[in-house]
Amino acid sequence: MGLAAGDMIRDLVYGALVVFSILVTIQSAHTLYLTLYIWAKPTSEAIAPEQFRPPRVSFTVMVPARHEESVIQATIGRVCEANYPQELIQVLVVCSADDKGTIAKVNEKISALRKAGLENVSVVTFEDGPVNKPHGLNVGLRYAVNEVVTIFDAEDDVHLDIFNVVNTVMQDEDVRVVQAGVQLMNFDSTWYSALNVLEYFFWFKSRLHYHARTGAIPLGGNTVFFDRGLVTRIGGWDEHNLTEDADIGLRLSAAGERIRVVYDDRYVTKEETPPTVSAFIRQRTRWSQGFMQTLKKGTWKDLPTRKQRWLAFYTLAFPRGQAVLGIYVVISLLTMFSLKTPEQVALITFLPVLMILAFFLIYVIGLQEFTRAHGLQASPGSVLRLALGWLPYQLMLSYAALRAVARESRGATDWEKTQHVGAHREHDPGALLEASDETAA
Amino acid sequence: MSAPQVAVVRPHPAAPPTLASASPQVTGFRSLDRAAQIALVLALVTGLITHAYHLFQYPLYSTDEGIYVERAWAVIREDRLSPQTYVYDHAPGGWLLIALWEFLLPGNFESFGNPVAGGRILALLLHLASVFFLFQIARKFSGGGLIAPVVATFLFNFSPLAIYYQRMILLDNIMVFWVLLSIYLLIRGRHGLFTGLWSGLAFGVGVITKENAIFFAPTIFYLLIRTTRQDSNRRFALTFWLFASAVPVVGYILLATLKGELLPAQLSLSLTRPPQGHVSLLYELWFQVHRNEGSLFAPGGFLHVLWLPKDPYLLGIGTVAMLACLVIGWRERKQNPALLVAGTLAFEIAFYLGRGSVILDFYVLPLIPTYALCVGLVADRAARRLPASTARVAVPIACALAGALLIAPSGGYVLKHGQQHQLQLADQYYLPLTYLQLDQIAWIRQHIPRTDKIITDDDIWVALHDKQPYPYAQSHWNAVSDPRVRSIFGGGNSQDINYVVLSNGMKHAMILNNSNGQENWILTALNSATEVWHASRGSVTLAIYQVHP
Repeated sequence: MGLAAGDMIRDLVYGALVVFSILVTIQSAHTLYLTLYIWAKPTSEAIAPEQFRPPRVSFTVMVPARHEESVIQATIGRVCEANYPQELIQVLVVCSADDKGTIAKVNEKISALRKAGLENVSVVTFEDGPVNKPHGLNVGLRYAVNEVVTIFDAEDDVHLDIFNVVNTVMQDEDVRVVQAGVQLMNFDSTWYSALNVLEYFFWFKSRLHYHARTGAIPLGGNTVFFDRGLVTRIGGWDEHNLTEDADIGLRLSAAGERIRVVYDDRYVTKEETPPTVSAFIRQRTRWSQGFMQTLKKGTWKDLPTRKQRWLAFYTLAFPRGQAVLGIYVVISLLTMFSLKTPEQVALITFLPVLMILAFFLIYVIGLQEFTRAHGLQASPGSVLRLALGWLPYQLMLSYAALRAVARESRGATDWEKTQHVGAHREHDPGALLEASDETAA
Repeated sequence: MSAPQVAVVRPHPAAPPTLASASPQVTGFRSLDRAAQIALVLALVTGLITHAYHLFQYPLYSTDEGIYVERAWAVIREDRLSPQTYVYDHAPGGWLLIALWEFLLPGNFESFGNPVAGGRILALLLHLASVFFLFQIARKFSGGGLIAPVVATFLFNFSPLAIYYQRMILLDNIMVFWVLLSIYLLIRGRHGLFTGLWSGLAFGVGVITKENAIFFAPTIFYLLIRTTRQDSNRRFALTFWLFASAVPVVGYILLATLKGELLPAQLSLSLTRPPQGHVSLLYELWFQVHRNEGSLFAPGGFLHVLWLPKDPYLLGIGTVAMLACLVIGWRERKQNPALLVAGTLAFEIAFYLGRGSVILDFYVLPLIPTYALCVGLVADRAARRLPASTARVAVPIACALAGALLIAPSGGYVLKHGQQHQLQLADQYYLPLTYLQLDQIAWIRQHIPRTDKIITDDDIWVALHDKQPYPYAQSHWNAVSDPRVRSIFGGGNSQDINYVVLSNGMKHAMILNNSNGQENWILTALNSATEVWHASRGSVTLAIYQVHP
């Protein structure tokens, strides 16, 4: 009797291992497909137009900033250097009134620009709460006057032709929302930066296209362009959501809005990876928690088709899955040395390992594609760091997801800000205008 | 501003088309033009007729067919890779497919009478799929023409050498299917992102079906490199191919590792004193690599004794065509790698056969489609060089030659001379042989108690084990090599054998397999036994001996 019960428990454990391994493998294969989605499509679907239309669309650039004294002036300078008529660009730097340092730097820059004849930059402050990005965006939206509003983060290195790209796409394709490419650049800074860079690379270059085509897209936090009337009509950004970008993307999708993704290596907005592990974990915790909030909010249920709902649910629920996967990895490592299973069971539990290997190879190719596209050089050391950092990076992601689960369960929803140091800037954007500052001084 | 100049370059009618410029419509039947559709249907129908007709009667169910069906039986019935100790003599991909096939059949192994017959139906289906792949590959390699695919599939379907071995359910036939599929996936239409993945996976499964598929790897990978030259996703295609082709092989190595059978006992690789204790994948590989017995080209070798008598035309013309493909293909490799690919595919397997290691007669199987492909491509190239006036009569002449080859008794393609020099259908369509094995099994069931200990061969093993089993009926191969099986017979005691059931040539095989005297105890039993049943037809003889009357 005892033996039979023991056999049954053992069979149940084996069965669970097999089922879980197969599910994880299927999920990994699906993610792999999404990761490479755009390579299966004609190049023309993804890249920017080769010829630009004459400037017609006017833009309001909103730059929410908090404690960004070190980078804000360069960002403003870069936008003001854009190859687009400045009379068609309004720049609003949005700060909390208590952020005196950033406001002072912005005002300093505005003075310098005015002396250079540019009057289109202003600072918008707010004193009410919450002090977070979506609130800043909603405040900025009230002061926006142009047809299209867009968001750049304070550390963004914006391409000078980005407005030409969006101006052309919006006219040619009659779309009201465009998500352009964002790319982390400093792949050689830390042990994890190449992995982080490639996450962005595959997400913006490939996976977002699938989301856009399916009609369930969690948008990025910057270099996203909205028709101002449209974003006003849907009520702006959710100020209580840590990933207001994903939330607004799904709300627009639910409203049936067609969203165009343009990732062209030439025109990406360049950003940096978080400088430290703790900064990275804080950032990733915020994103995971934001996805959990968006999932709980249930906007995804308003999407019209089952496929859209499923994709949105799958994407938003992924951080929870990632938390479970982290635990699974630890258990796998333990059982590898302690649990003796039949060969067939062991072979099936090996399938997720094959998927990890497949992902690693894809990332190695991705690193080559990324560096080639940006005129960089990946050394063998970069690949080695990729290999050695793979498992710790996955565990770091899982830890952030677990941390997000813990924060969400105890109701901690404060904004853990990401520190920016400008590691992605090989040059000093806005140097021309900085020079005029000095001249003025 | 002037409009851009568009230069229209018309290819010379006789110019060989390049692989890249070849018609892309090889993705499926519907995309073929009318003539190609008819040609493909004819190829499939002739393949069906030549291989299905007389399938269950000829050739004799062979020992190797029996072994693979027996292992498929073990997969389904015993959840193991072999009913005996699995010694890693071959990777299990082939009989896992056979097991899947038998599992899907309503009556499993009994669906078509004899268990091996069910396997032959699978071989037939694989042959038809291979005909389709070969047709499309030849068509693509020749730039969309029909001469190459028609000639290649004609030889592939009608060659007596091909029919003899392709009818059997052998690992080599399954491997050929996977290799042709792998190539077909690379040349069909526009490359998708995952083309390399699926092609690599097919190739990897081919390798774990029959390891000698690995000889095709350089050429298939070269083909992938050439066909993805302009693709933006080339890096992914190449990496996926390598990754996917390695996955089944890694799985196989992992299986051996999990069973604790990767490394040899005592880490010994001694060929003179094999390590005792457990079987080992690495040792078996080491052993196989170092086997060097006989030469293919020796007077008594398979080439002279079995292959050339069955089809001297395919082997002779195929060798010439292979050399022509290599020479012409090398010259034009930069513009068009098709002939070089076909030539090296054939050369790789010819090298494998001719290099002097141990081969069995059916190892010729992978050579057949590659030779047929080379002949087809050279014929196509020759036709293109003919002046237009000659080309008009070339087709009827070629058809007449094919017809002559079919009916010429000396070729044995369809007709042959009988023993009294009368004209009759060739053996593959006329000579019944397997009834001898069915009679042998029937006699055993009628006269031998199921508890008796029988030494037999693998060709009837499943028939004696699946329904109303004879649990103590074991093949002499396993009785001498597997201690677990030998223990049934008192650890190798001739007194513990009740019957010896001889397959065709089994006694000769036992003598050949007796270099260390391991078959002595069975031969001793046989020498003192009484023949109780006997049947023969032509050179085929089966018998049953009772050891203790």
